[in-house]
Amino acid sequence: MTMETPPPGEPGDTVDPGIGGSGYTLEDLSDYLDHGRLPANPAIDDNAECQSVLASIERVGALSRDLVAKDAADNPALDESWFGSLFAAISNEAKAGRDIPLSSPDPRTRLSITEGAVRELVRAAGDGVDGALVGRCQLHGDLESPGSGIRVEISISVLLGAPVHEIAATVRQRVYSELLAHTELSVDAVDVTVADVHVVPDLDATDTTGSGA
Amino acid sequence: MCYWTGHPVTDLSLASDEILAERSADGDTVAFAVLVRRHGPFLRAFATRITGSAADADDAVQEALITAWDALSSLEDFGKVRAWLTSIVSRKSTDRIRRRKPSSQLDDESPEAFHRGPEQRAIAQSQLDALADVLAALPEGQRQCWVLKEVGGYSYDEIADELDITPAVVRGRLARARATVISEMEVWK
Repeated sequence: MTMETPPPGEPGDTVDPGIGGSGYTLEDLSDYLDHGRLPANPAIDDNAECQSVLASIERVGALSRDLVAKDAADNPALDESWFGSLFAAISNEAKAGRDIPLSSPDPRTRLSITEGAVRELVRAAGDGVDGALVGRCQLHGDLESPGSGIRVEISISVLLGAPVHEIAATVRQRVYSELLAHTELSVDAVDVTVADVHVVPDLDATDTTGSGA
Repeated sequence: MCYWTGHPVTDLSLASDEILAERSADGDTVAFAVLVRRHGPFLRAFATRITGSAADADDAVQEALITAWDALSSLEDFGKVRAWLTSIVSRKSTDRIRRRKPSSQLDDESPEAFHRGPEQRAIAQSQLDALADVLAALPEGQRQCWVLKEVGGYSYDEIADELDITPAVVRGRLARARATVISEMEVWK
């Protein structure tokens, strides 16, 4: 295949017959690809040399993505000191949320639990149900006023093949009773949404399943 | 075991990106660690190809993940957390490049002479090795645009924003990079 490369930076050069005599340059063809080959252009679509160049553009793009994927696969381990300094730098304080008051036997002492800690409690309660993984956990309502009813909204992922309704009901019950046992929140409702399913990788299989993306 | 319920600790590595991102947004550092281990190698590889430096890539990815942790709750679609992380990594990578030297100096100069013949190129073990050579030999500005476009999937305007150059410059660099990459890789067809 012969390929003509447009002379870079020579806008005055307008006699370029283009690739395969189509009148289109490499850059034009790349733009055409970027637009999903739409609107269809017969001068390109019916030109064998243009088609060959389009295939080349797609090929080197796909190869570039393969290259980065291969770089990643060749170096799957993260440096532990890098990992350590990352997690030393991130802080949970910003995510602590509202302060939820707790009654105190001593009137001089003010006790409270953070919204973040309650979310953690909810996650642990839901995760404790076989086949369930908690995702988002949101607390709706006036947390700062003792006794005012609140609503808990959580999303869960359920193990593929497990009984969805039963798991969702158990999660709801477990979250409710944990909140009752460990907080003074007045829980009006626990809404559970099944947002996802997950699978246990087949340990006998030799191919490693990819990420859960 | 979970410290108060006595139930087995759930294996978060089974969770989807969406679930992990949601938990991270709620402050679950363990879920965030799983997410980082899952996508860290790709993010580092991507940043390395942009910056051309493993050390810069490590710093850029770490900076990006700290930013991401703080901003997670603003994420609209938790299922797209990988693409979102990739965009933050590309921004932090290009920040590092800009700090290194003005982008205008990266236009045309090739880091080293690269005029190997087809026979020498065939020494590369695979077409991916060959492509790695070709990309490494591209002028830095061209390589950055190429990786952001082809691996990051960004538009000319987005790349221009990130690199602080005009879309016309991005277009020119990509045109030259494309011509070089295609002709150098022709032998591997």
